[in-house]
Amino acid sequence: MAEYLTCSFCGFEFEKTDTLCSHGCPMGPWCGLIRCPSCQYEFPEKPQPVSWLSRLLGKPPPAKRDYPATVRSVRELKRGERAAVLCLGGGSSSRRNSLAVFGLVPGAELTVIQQQPTCVVRIGETELALDPDIARGILVEQPEPDTAAT
Amino acid sequence: MTSPRAPDRGARGRGTTVLVGNPNVGKSVLFKNLTNRYVTVSNYPGTTVEIVRARANFNGRDIEVIDTPGINDLSPRSDDARVTRRVLDEHRGATIVQVADAKNLRRALLLTLQLAELDRPMVLVLNMFDELEERGGQIDTARLSGLLGVPVVATVAPRNVGTSDLVEALPQARTPKRPEQALPDAADDYERNRIRLAQVNEILADTYSMHQPAHAPAGVRLGFWAMHPVKGLAVLGLVLAAVFWFVGLLGAGTAVDVFEVGLFQQHLNPLAIRAVDVVLPFPHLHHTETVAVSVGIPATPVHEIPLGTLQRDVIVPGYAVDPGVELSAVQKVLRFGHDFLVGEYGAITMALSYAFAIVLPIVTAFFLAFSILEDSGYFSRMAIMVHRVFRFMGLNGKAVLPMILGLGCDTMATMTTRILETRKERIVTTMLLALAVPCSAQLGVLLALMATLAGPGTLVWLGVVIGVILLVGWLTARVVGGESSDFILEIPPMRRPQVSNVLVKTASRLNWYLKEVIPLFVLGTGILFLLDAANLLDGIARAVEPLVAGWLGLPKEMANAFLIGFMRRDFGAVYILDAATGPDAVLSPHQILVAMVTITLFMPCIANFLMIAKEHSMKTAWSMAAFIFPFAFFVGGLINHIGQWLSI
Repeated sequence: MAEYLTCSFCGFEFEKTDTLCSHGCPMGPWCGLIRCPSCQYEFPEKPQPVSWLSRLLGKPPPAKRDYPATVRSVRELKRGERAAVLCLGGGSSSRRNSLAVFGLVPGAELTVIQQQPTCVVRIGETELALDPDIARGILVEQPEPDTAAT
Repeated sequence: MTSPRAPDRGARGRGTTVLVGNPNVGKSVLFKNLTNRYVTVSNYPGTTVEIVRARANFNGRDIEVIDTPGINDLSPRSDDARVTRRVLDEHRGATIVQVADAKNLRRALLLTLQLAELDRPMVLVLNMFDELEERGGQIDTARLSGLLGVPVVATVAPRNVGTSDLVEALPQARTPKRPEQALPDAADDYERNRIRLAQVNEILADTYSMHQPAHAPAGVRLGFWAMHPVKGLAVLGLVLAAVFWFVGLLGAGTAVDVFEVGLFQQHLNPLAIRAVDVVLPFPHLHHTETVAVSVGIPATPVHEIPLGTLQRDVIVPGYAVDPGVELSAVQKVLRFGHDFLVGEYGAITMALSYAFAIVLPIVTAFFLAFSILEDSGYFSRMAIMVHRVFRFMGLNGKAVLPMILGLGCDTMATMTTRILETRKERIVTTMLLALAVPCSAQLGVLLALMATLAGPGTLVWLGVVIGVILLVGWLTARVVGGESSDFILEIPPMRRPQVSNVLVKTASRLNWYLKEVIPLFVLGTGILFLLDAANLLDGIARAVEPLVAGWLGLPKEMANAFLIGFMRRDFGAVYILDAATGPDAVLSPHQILVAMVTITLFMPCIANFLMIAKEHSMKTAWSMAAFIFPFAFFVGGLINHIGQWLSI
């Protein structure tokens, strides 16, 4: 079965067999690059970032999100503020379930006990320490000011 | 040991009772109240989860009671939940007793609704009812019982309140009512739990009320302080200072003095030497020394409040063969046996006295302190304090438990890295334990070495060790790759530790330690003895002389210390201590520091190596060793050259 490749530069699709430039190339069969027959751009067949060296030097891309002004993340609440959970944010279903078994589900009320050195919230009588990144993902909406005072 | 796969003997009706519940709800204490004899503990195959069973007599009937690990969720995501499910599957006729924290009814009821789907007779126990009332909460147990359709019993397990009510309620166990709203089959665990929580909220609205008291109880306030960004650090400092005093000064100082000098050097060793001299006679005369033991309450590392001193003239392992006597072949054999038992590297005079007189008191003190901290609920607060730092090394706060346990025994701590959820976290923690966390055996010797250094030397040592932990942790996390687990950790309330519980835990850890470690001490000393007898020690020492004398700048005799350090780094440290103290001290303070840093960074012992191989793989163990030993020499040499360059 023929294998198809897509040029990462011009987007041209072509069969793999014709494109390895092993003949005439000084690198010979050791050349891992593929030349696009359309634009002559050379690129490695697969990007291979999974080496220990690149893990050592690489950085994860920063995550960015935006939401309405009335909605805040748990991370933005101050000590002692109460709020109702809207959503548990990204992450896997298993992360959401490990929050749910502590009663942390949309609709639940939580109180922020502290943000430093690590975020701690209280749901009912359960006190839960959360990684700041997880807390940042949990979106909450604060109740009316008069209920917050009680 | 009862095989966990054994067929259910209690299949005839309600012969078996299974305790199920969330973590930290006092299941074990309740279990102890219900039963009081013939407890069997068994490990489930392939897991570290322990299942405890015992027989009990309720209302004239013989019943088997099984305690299961604490779970928040029945879905088989964790080892604990898988084992609990298997226990429930294997005992289909069993009565389920769900133990709940009355303060945390919401989470308990989430589990109740999951258990209800199994259609088994159930009793719900609301434990810690006193703590609920202390906090101003109330639960209408009659109403709750009506809504769920199962008996509900309130208990206070630590004070044994309500146990008889529970025993009376057991025959009344009923299958719970199923909620009207059926769960959609297709939904995932999270969706199903959300629906269940909505049902729980309806039940709670009818049965549960809470009036917060004006003042939080003292325990609650202490709990807040312990994780406060500023006060928490003060609490952490106080706790560490208290543990240091108890383990480092009282255990490693006073208790070791009493055991090593007072018991072994003054009494047991002379006794053993005399006995061996009678059994294996050859013409020789042991030296006699005056040995003094002084007992006091330690105040600082170098001061103590003296209580008393005891002096005795005793014989020591060193001896001289009677002058002018030529030993016959038989006498040479006898001498060999004599030396093996009570010589300088003798099984009794070195291995046993080292294991029981030096290591045992320190380890006992450490495990005692560890169990108290564990039961007080402080470790999860400590996890909060250190989470940020640990995150830098690809770990999360939960790794604080194995790291602290490593200060007791690195091998045991390597075993407990199983509690960490991802491979990356387990590898990083194992690596740091093997490299830079000194175990209490070594810590005891290192403390004695520090006493010979001035304050700045100790600080440099501490700084180097912490720096190495951070640097190597960060590097290992990057090189290993993979995921770190989510840091979601329940903070249990601070509690006063139960004396019996602390003692039982300390005893079981000590038991493990003695069985695992004492044979290795004897083995290690045996190898040392043979090397010494075959005059190999000198040969090997000459071979590594350039490394020790050149790169580390130490006297060439110190090669022996590192050679032995390959086997047990604390043995190596003892050698350094010998060379650093006493009338014929050969090391300068600078050399002591270099030797201390190098030996601290060695792999702890052969047992630790084997445990790494067992928990991960032989390849991992070898790669760690291949990194650790050269790295230890590298850092030691670096300290040496920087020190010389700064001419300290």
